[in-house]
Amino acid sequence: MPDRERIPLQPSRRQFVGGSLGAAGALVAGGASGVAIGRATDGPKASAAAKQIPFYGEHQAGIATPAQDRLAFAAFDLTTTDRTAVEVLLGTWAAAAARMTAGELIGPIDTAPQAPPIDTGEALGLGPAALTVTVGFGSSMFDDRFGLGKRRPTALGDIPPLPRDALRPEISNGDIGVQACSNDPQVAFHVIRNFARLARGTAIIRWSQLGFGRTSSTSTDQQTPRNLMGFKDGTNDIKVQDTADLDDYVWVAGETDQPWMRGGSYLVSRRIRMFIESWDTDFLSDQERVFGRFKTSGAPLTGKHEFDPVELGAKKPDGTPVISLNAHIRLAGPASHGGQKILRRGYSFTDGIDPNTGLLDAGLFFIAYQKDPRKQFVPIQQLLGSRDNLNEYIQHTSSALFAVPRGLSGAGDWWGKDLLR
Amino acid sequence: MLRTPSSTTRAAGLAGVMIVASLVLTACGSSGSRGDGGAMQADDSHTATVTITAANGCQIPTTSYPAGALTFKIANQDATAVSEVELISGERIVGEKENLPPGFSGTFSVDVEGGTYSLYCPGAKQENTAITVTGSAPSLTGGSVAALLKSGTDDYAKYVTLQAGYLLSSAKALRSAIASGDLASAQAAYEKARPFYEKIEPVAESFTIGKNNLDSDIDARAGDVPAARWEGFHPIEKALFQDKSLEGLARLAAGLVVNVEKLQKLTNGLTYQAYELANGAQDLLDEVATSKITGEEERYSHIDLLDFQANDEGAEQAFAELQSALTTIDPQLTATIASRFTSLDALVDTYRTGSNPSGFDYYGVLTQIDKRKLAAAVKAVQEPLSQVASKVAKA
Repeated sequence: MPDRERIPLQPSRRQFVGGSLGAAGALVAGGASGVAIGRATDGPKASAAAKQIPFYGEHQAGIATPAQDRLAFAAFDLTTTDRTAVEVLLGTWAAAAARMTAGELIGPIDTAPQAPPIDTGEALGLGPAALTVTVGFGSSMFDDRFGLGKRRPTALGDIPPLPRDALRPEISNGDIGVQACSNDPQVAFHVIRNFARLARGTAIIRWSQLGFGRTSSTSTDQQTPRNLMGFKDGTNDIKVQDTADLDDYVWVAGETDQPWMRGGSYLVSRRIRMFIESWDTDFLSDQERVFGRFKTSGAPLTGKHEFDPVELGAKKPDGTPVISLNAHIRLAGPASHGGQKILRRGYSFTDGIDPNTGLLDAGLFFIAYQKDPRKQFVPIQQLLGSRDNLNEYIQHTSSALFAVPRGLSGAGDWWGKDLLR
Repeated sequence: MLRTPSSTTRAAGLAGVMIVASLVLTACGSSGSRGDGGAMQADDSHTATVTITAANGCQIPTTSYPAGALTFKIANQDATAVSEVELISGERIVGEKENLPPGFSGTFSVDVEGGTYSLYCPGAKQENTAITVTGSAPSLTGGSVAALLKSGTDDYAKYVTLQAGYLLSSAKALRSAIASGDLASAQAAYEKARPFYEKIEPVAESFTIGKNNLDSDIDARAGDVPAARWEGFHPIEKALFQDKSLEGLARLAAGLVVNVEKLQKLTNGLTYQAYELANGAQDLLDEVATSKITGEEERYSHIDLLDFQANDEGAEQAFAELQSALTTIDPQLTATIASRFTSLDALVDTYRTGSNPSGFDYYGVLTQIDKRKLAAAVKAVQEPLSQVASKVAKA
């Protein structure tokens, strides 16, 4: 070699040009195993990190599981036309999810020095953190690519256009939906990142959404959280302790036309942008009129405490209803829908600012599980979309529906095994 | 001579996508019925049955086989940490099967000489099992993996030399066009020269030591270096395509020729390690993903798709030099990468056009959907390609 030393051809990054790249290559490999359990060492934090939700079971975890604090959601589109590749992907994902929900790496980090680590590593030492991974199939997967047309459940019809929809197709629907929930945001994100990597060449992420705080309480042990409007919304959500409600409204049973859906559920997601700056200028009693609840206590306007009954027939002295005819609590409640309910499991999000207006792009990433969206979410939203007082302050910008199959029986089982085989 | 997958078992689906190691093709003529599924074959001395479980790891009831053809039939029952099985001789991977999550099964076939091997199931409770092979195989192919890699890296060196030569002559042509004072011909000369650099860029980057930075001297973009030290292709590009002026370019063009001459001198006679080719290919595709798909590389001329194609071609060339050796190590991985390169090439080809001298659509026509498709096709190559360096490094 003439006057210069030459370094081996290591993957590098353009922006390092001009920097001290010389030593960088040698340092890339083999660092991560020493990363210790920094975030999970003390007290309540440690026990939160250690909390583990069983991955295998009759139903998929992440539905009738007390809502965790954080969400990472992604919709994938299959790019392959090879059905076997789809099966391998789902089998590989299932094995990876089994490990991640147990707080384990999907594979070793210390592999050959010349090979990338199998696990990306950012969740090392963070514990299971109550992670659940829930997978469902969108209606597009039942087109002619994989010969699944006859296996499409009728309940997996496309959601019809609903009043006031402002949906962006590029962040709506998708072949496969993945919901990762955890009490640690990095544990949840780790799932989406590694699923995308395992899918490379077979499927790509169509869209993704992070949720930073739960807005639903799905357990009697949990307090009802507040949404970004500062209200408790979801006080009367289905609770995991109420197995009769779960059987009646959430789990698919013998009524389905597709046996592979038994024990499953249907996931509807809606990204609901809130015009929170406008909301913040609305006066208190109007905010309370919009929801039908008191802001501070969360009590219905007909009561004093959060869980007091919602008396829709109550009248003021002048004869007008205490809970406005278009109050959110009235239109969303079971009484307005022949008793129908849904299990809500939404998360607050913010995606920075709207580039056009500079206003915060924030709101609710609504997730609901149900037995049949045609009888539950769709009629509920038809009513809300046309009359809800809240409509002045919100806009639905994405929509998706996924058929979430039964839970996995154990290692060797995978999502959609009875669908694809 | 590929085996027909059995239609009687669930494993058939996986077997359908597998490619039997090419060594088998030249082995004994009696192999026609070998491994055609069915329990009868399980006792065949040329068939090894491997069962992977979480409790016991990788289990193989028989650990001694006669030399010659050997087919491994593998089923992963419930080991979530395991997704592949390798047969290793010393440090070398003789054959392997990937994509074996729990619930899946598959096979791979190898030709083995007498000796001691290890069945390696990364992540399994029992990771390594010694396999003894006795006797000597009737006929093995001549070219060892090491010899195939040597010839591949030698060929790659010739490719680099050739491209460096083209780069030098096209840089000189650019210098002449600028000297002639004709803006249009200088622009065309710029577009002609660029791909030769983009095909071998990682080699130039490998001479980056401290202030001696050929990649920067030749290819820095505005802001990569202090304005006073900005030289090479891109200030010329800015003048030709944005300012549309030849003023001051004679000095820059002369400097470019000097630096390219330096590069040519440095690359001449250089030898490469096989893993460097794999990493170089990866580096080229990183270039595509980070600067071409974003339109940052050719921000004045907008010929990013031409650079894209050149990066892709350079990466594919490096891979092609490894292909014959890699096929004997891991036929499935090799086939996956090859087919994904084919898909990427086909996608890039859809942007070819005769309507401008670069031969490709200008960056501005790309929609967001186009960019995402291109990025996904590049990433689809990169993920399996990232496995190559470690495989050839061990060979």
